[in-house]
Amino acid sequence: MAEQSLTRNIIKKGAIGVLLGIILAGVAKATHFPFVFQVMFFIYAMLGAAVFILLDAPSLRRLEGIKAIIGLVLFYLVLSGVYIGGASGLPQYDPEVEKGKIEKLLKARRARTQQGKAEELIARAKALNERAVSIEQQLKILGGGVQVVEEAAAPASSAAAGDLVALGKEQWELQECYNCHKLFGQGGKKRGPELDNIGNLMTPEALRQKILDPKSWKAEGFDKQYKKGKMPDKYKDLMFDEEIDALVAFLATLKDASVNTPKPIKMK
Amino acid sequence: MKTLTRSLVILPGLVLGGLAVAYAQAPAPPPVEFPYAGNRTGVWIVAQLHILFAAFILGAPIFAVVSEWLGYKNQDPKYDRLAKEVTKVTVILYSMTALTGGLFIFVLLATYPGFTTWLIQHFFLIFAVIYPLLFILETIVLYTYFYSWDTLKGEKKARHIALGVLLNVVGTVTLFVIDGPTAFMNTPAKSAEGVSLIQFVQSAGLWDKVANYSWMPLNLHRLVGNVTFGGFIAGLVAAYMYMGAKTDEDRSYYDWMGFVGNMIGVGALLFLPFMGYLLAYELCDYDASICPYMMADQLSMFFEMQGAMVGLIFLASNYYIWLSMKRIEGVEQVRISGMVMVAVLLIPLVMGAAWKLFPPPEWQSLIFLALLIGLPPVLSKLPGLRFTVSSFTMIKVGFLMIVVANAIWMTPHGFVATQALATEELELPSWASELALMPAKNAAAFTLVFLTVVNYFLYNRAIRSGTIIWGKIDFASQFVLIFLAFSAIWTMGLMGTVRSLTRKYFHVYNLVPDFTPEAFTPTLAYSAWWITGVTLVFYIVVSFAIVVTLRTTGQKTEAPQAAPVPAGAE
Repeated sequence: MAEQSLTRNIIKKGAIGVLLGIILAGVAKATHFPFVFQVMFFIYAMLGAAVFILLDAPSLRRLEGIKAIIGLVLFYLVLSGVYIGGASGLPQYDPEVEKGKIEKLLKARRARTQQGKAEELIARAKALNERAVSIEQQLKILGGGVQVVEEAAAPASSAAAGDLVALGKEQWELQECYNCHKLFGQGGKKRGPELDNIGNLMTPEALRQKILDPKSWKAEGFDKQYKKGKMPDKYKDLMFDEEIDALVAFLATLKDASVNTPKPIKMK
Repeated sequence: MKTLTRSLVILPGLVLGGLAVAYAQAPAPPPVEFPYAGNRTGVWIVAQLHILFAAFILGAPIFAVVSEWLGYKNQDPKYDRLAKEVTKVTVILYSMTALTGGLFIFVLLATYPGFTTWLIQHFFLIFAVIYPLLFILETIVLYTYFYSWDTLKGEKKARHIALGVLLNVVGTVTLFVIDGPTAFMNTPAKSAEGVSLIQFVQSAGLWDKVANYSWMPLNLHRLVGNVTFGGFIAGLVAAYMYMGAKTDEDRSYYDWMGFVGNMIGVGALLFLPFMGYLLAYELCDYDASICPYMMADQLSMFFEMQGAMVGLIFLASNYYIWLSMKRIEGVEQVRISGMVMVAVLLIPLVMGAAWKLFPPPEWQSLIFLALLIGLPPVLSKLPGLRFTVSSFTMIKVGFLMIVVANAIWMTPHGFVATQALATEELELPSWASELALMPAKNAAAFTLVFLTVVNYFLYNRAIRSGTIIWGKIDFASQFVLIFLAFSAIWTMGLMGTVRSLTRKYFHVYNLVPDFTPEAFTPTLAYSAWWITGVTLVFYIVVSFAIVVTLRTTGQKTEAPQAAPVPAGAE
């Protein structure tokens, strides 16, 4: 009797859930929600159905002894599986993207630590040793007197070759300035002003001052953000002089007058 | 003899801790490689395990002393038995806390010797003197509290309760003290004008470093979290014991215990979303770049998972109330004003709009809140609005709104791991973008809290007018109690992971970079595997402790104290 009732309960509520889910997904589609959100609304409808199935479900029979233990173990396994599966089913951030960023950010800092210096020396010694072994082997194979052609050095990237603006753009990405400032139509969440025309409004000295001391300048219309200190006062500690120089050089090139970058107001 | 055995277990933990501090003074050796998992995950596992045990031994005594006081006040031996049983399990797990704590320091020193030494030097007084002394004091008070239970009774009971209060004071101070270095790693200090952060930290006193931006929010969050944890673990104890109970008397007692554990757990849980919000607010206020990292970038899907977990916990706790109500005789007579139902249906919309117009900390949104709470009783007295609905109808409408609130909480701006990857096919349409913003999320959280309060209100009304039959609850309720404990622990693990990861590629945010190759944000899937693993290990140990302490010894000695099946709610 109870089983019949449970089956009827599942079929009835399940059908209502499916129907409601289809309606929700249909409305979502008509109102321009992407497909993934339509699926999400359908899942919510089914969650609702599951909840109402549980509310009207007949009482669970008492489990005793080994049955209770097996029931518990299975319950834990199902819970673990659902949580791991649920977390794995969501979009995953690719750590490789961040690893590259962190490597760039920390490379210069690591090199300036004692350990970093020691590591660099060891690495150089290893490279020299490998080169010596390689030359020795080539000499053995080819006989004495043969000139060993040195490998051409890898071409330096445009950034490494001293392109300050490119380095500055890289700093823009690494310091994640885009999280608060819109640029080239991308990024920004209204925490900070759009910066496409900042090069026409601030001198490189003023830009440098703003980065090192965020309270030194205020963007017009951003009083609340200025008062709350939304721009982190940390770059003087986190960035090396050459990194700030590069970022300033990049920002100074932003001279798109068609974009309404708010007027900077000197505060200090 | 037992005291001696347990002391022998705790002592090595303390000695390990002491040795670790001494070891930290020696020149830093090269780090070791933690097998299989790697150093970062190795520290993560041990730290999380330690924090779970620590949360229990700090949360359970709060639960125990409140229960003991209720028993004393109402002259009800059930509460006293409950308090004693929870304390028994606490005593066993206390040893595990000390052992995992010592292990944590050793693993940290072996895998990150340079940084650990740096941290210990900055907080030497805490690590070498204050914390060990507090731990020893807590050990003494805990054992005195437990072993004086039978001697300090009757007229001396108040002294015993005072001892319990002292235990909680020491425990809370210990928590606050060790939160200092923990919070410091997240928010060391804000740069002062003209002074670099490094210079500031080098010259700052101990108090300046302890009383940092996130210290008090973390204290409050952990304190409330520990009470929730204690309540849900008490529910877990009750569920195990109910499942294994042989007599109706025991079943009625453990049914009641499960109810009390759940009530305290849920009672504290109601405050947790707001405590978490306060902590997140302070972190964002400290450095605005932490906010997008949490909500829109690498950690955004961790928060999606958190939304799912919180939603499930609220669903389960309300389902437990539902199952509890179903066994109350006469519950059909309990009715409530239809205006409350209307208010419940309007909550997400009204509060979402209120917080949109007046975002926190602006006070005007409280007017809307007051109207939502205050108007139904007034309106229900007006002619034409006096209709009532049954308690079951009200709860069912409540469940519908819980699902709606969960849906709002879980709706992201985009189904992407970082906004940088967002495209039109994965983002909310612009007209619906409000669904992903804080006013909507706050409204969802408030709806969950409000509905749970309404359900408890209904439950109380039902037990006043009906007859509750303890021991006859639907057996599924025991799985609900177990589910709540498991899910609460899992969520703690998830949010602990989030708090640690907000330091990004720093050991101490913006101050001490982590130069190891593991200084990146792990994926949610990877994190979920380890969080589940740690939760299961913790569960196995706790289950063992419950079985050893209560199943083998408890029933014989404690059974006579169990109250008979109550005839009524009182």
